[in-house]
Amino acid sequence: MTTKLILRLMAICLFVVSCKHEEKHKYHTVVDKIVAETIESENTTLTSEIYNEGIKTVTVNEDGYDFLIPERKSQIASYNCTECHTEPIENLKQHQLDEKAAHWNIKLVHASAETMNCATCHTSSDMDNLHSLTNSTIDFNYSYKVCSQCHQQEFKDWKGGAHGKQLGGWAPPRLSKTCVNCHNPHQPAFEKRWPVRFNTQKVKERK
Amino acid sequence: MSNENKKWFSLNLNRSKKTDSCGCGNNSGSCSDQKEKDGYDQIMDVPMDRRAAFKKITAGFLIGAGAVNSSCSVISGDESKEKANIEWEEYFKGNYKLMTNEEKDKTVDRLTRSYELRTGKNLSMSSKDAEEDVLFGYAFNISKCQGYMDCVNACVEENNQDRATEMQYIRIHEMDEGKGFNFEESDDNYYHEVPADGHFYMGTQCFHCDNPPCVEVCPVQATWKEKDGIVVIDYDWCIGCRYCMAACPYDGRRFNWKTPEVPEKEVNKKQHYLGNRLRKKGVMEKCTFCIQRSREGQNPACVEACPTGSRTFGNLLDPKSNIRWILDNKKVFRLKEDLGTEPKFWYYMD
Repeated sequence: MTTKLILRLMAICLFVVSCKHEEKHKYHTVVDKIVAETIESENTTLTSEIYNEGIKTVTVNEDGYDFLIPERKSQIASYNCTECHTEPIENLKQHQLDEKAAHWNIKLVHASAETMNCATCHTSSDMDNLHSLTNSTIDFNYSYKVCSQCHQQEFKDWKGGAHGKQLGGWAPPRLSKTCVNCHNPHQPAFEKRWPVRFNTQKVKERK
Repeated sequence: MSNENKKWFSLNLNRSKKTDSCGCGNNSGSCSDQKEKDGYDQIMDVPMDRRAAFKKITAGFLIGAGAVNSSCSVISGDESKEKANIEWEEYFKGNYKLMTNEEKDKTVDRLTRSYELRTGKNLSMSSKDAEEDVLFGYAFNISKCQGYMDCVNACVEENNQDRATEMQYIRIHEMDEGKGFNFEESDDNYYHEVPADGHFYMGTQCFHCDNPPCVEVCPVQATWKEKDGIVVIDYDWCIGCRYCMAACPYDGRRFNWKTPEVPEKEVNKKQHYLGNRLRKKGVMEKCTFCIQRSREGQNPACVEACPTGSRTFGNLLDPKSNIRWILDNKKVFRLKEDLGTEPKFWYYMD
């Protein structure tokens, strides 16, 4: 009786050990595993569509990368520009010195004045659109095309997914923030600020 | 009735008992190998009579007069009877790994009901399994992290971590530029304007190793790697020996020295059995890649909270995912790669 039990236990042990062994050494590294088990296309049943609900999007199609970015025009408070800019800029000049100029809150801290000014991206001949360095029209919804003229490496990383931030979830379809969702185009650098928390317990513990 | 198939002993207070030829609920043929041995049975796998007797005796010792008294008493109300019943069943349930789906549902029901009895509030708990063709991975951009710590806040709120001891799964290390990754000299508890000049920031948390040493050392198999690569803990099976904590080369695991407490109104009610459900004193816990979120297609809370986009999460098996692009195109590395732990958490720079 006892021998039988011991034998049974041994058999179970062997079985368990061999199972573990097989699973563990199926792939040498996790990269091997990724390469071997990569799926053809997104055939998972999961989708992040519900998390993207309520965000108006436009499709980006650049160099074989297909994804969504938030629509921009409806988010700009004073768009269309031509709703105010009905006459040439010369006529809209400040009437009195103590009056606040339109767009008084916009300060350009983006590259040096030699490199950039308002007219690098905006043009008085077509207020409702942006324009490229060679003066072709760029829609406000696709403003990343303006940025990518100089920031080529960031553009490359953004398209792939190494720069920027994904909205919604990890599951397809991919919805990524566009440049201006994080960076103010007029002052694109991030500011210094205080961290949002400080762990007081850790200080006590480490005394 | 599945009661007969249960892998643990029930009080059976108001139910009639049906007897089978043996305990496995299978009337025909031999039943010796068909039943998965679990929990109690793993130790107490002896013929029926002895087992039943054993269970009853041990249970009597363990729970003592308390539970039995309150659940059998005529004076105590239905609610306390139910409570005692739940406690009993929870005490004798099996290892999550070996539970059938039905058993998983039942323990989830019990846990939600017990919370309702305690607080009068409802929670939604899931026991969703890993999705097919999914292997989770994480990438962290060292160039982009500014040390704001929004991720830490989001993690604490999402995962119901103890507020009093300020338990945190994520650590953000402030490193001196020019000294490389020197964890001994780095500061993971800074408080000044960030990013500080001459410093860079990097976050660490559980890396969900593909060859996790913490799983290897667990004497009771209370922690394991799920099919989608998430290393999880069964908080009800953990005995709190902290072997895993010692085995982890990345300081990824945390221990509850006291009963974790979260103010009722701050409790995240969307929970997963293996994730952010409320823990107890004396068990391990750690990052689960927000299993309650990631298994629904959402990003973990830290990824969502990061204002700089330093954090990327996704399916390593999907060739079109962001994480795969980073692995394929950026110069990535992992911490302590020479240990062979195969973390699924990569660092990269712009």
